Amino acid sequence: MYSHAWQTSSILSYVGEKMIPGETLHYLVMAVTALISVVATYMAITEKDLLKAVIFSALQSGMYAILYFLLLAPDILLVYIPVAVGLIPGVLIVLISKTERWEKE
Amino acid sequence: MEPTEFLNLYLLSVTIASLLANVAISLYGVFYKPHYTKKIIAVSILSDSANTIAIFIGFRRWLSPSQPPSVAIATNLSREGIEKFANVGVDPLPQALVLTAIVIGLAVTLFLIYLGYMLYCHYKTLDMREIRRLKG
Repeated sequence: MYSHAWQTSSILSYVGEKMIPGETLHYLVMAVTALISVVATYMAITEKDLLKAVIFSALQSGMYAILYFLLLAPDILLVYIPVAVGLIPGVLIVLISKTERWEKE
Repeated sequence: MEPTEFLNLYLLSVTIASLLANVAISLYGVFYKPHYTKKIIAVSILSDSANTIAIFIGFRRWLSPSQPPSVAIATNLSREGIEKFANVGVDPLPQALVLTAIVIGLAVTLFLIYLGYMLYCHYKTLDMREIRRLKG
């Protein structure tokens, strides 16, 4: 009657039967995604080229989108992908093209 | 505690620690980076991290460790069916709040970007140190 999230995904359940339990694999993907988002945030904050910083922040938003899906909130995912990966970086790139690209020391 | 359960809790702790690290890094960016565009990027990352922490709390894995949250579909509308449905699903209240917060954050970010363009039209720079010097 109730199906677990890691049972509905065929790839995850196939890998999970072979090596490690499906729930642990679910949380493992979640932890790796969160760690990649930390690296992307650090690169976005310390980057001097603002165009690269916007691209890194879009990468971080993509990682958060995967995290929303794994936290069983697919409705948030459907709103978050167009807003945070598409619209905000696009308008920020327009702002950078109209103003200045490099951050001075 | 079983090794698998320990590993699950460890991975969940890594996730929430990474989110808190994101909050810390973006706060550093808001306060110490001088460029206006960089501040906008840091504010958007900060709001997204806060939203994700709310969703993570709504996942409520630690309330029932023997029965983790899952995708629940209510087909049996009797009393027992509703109780079971409420026991295995994730909390829907943070998801509703976060859905509203993302849309409001979009509007606020677009307004900040427009303010940045107006700043550039007035001062011909977006460096906040320069703007503070030119204002005085």
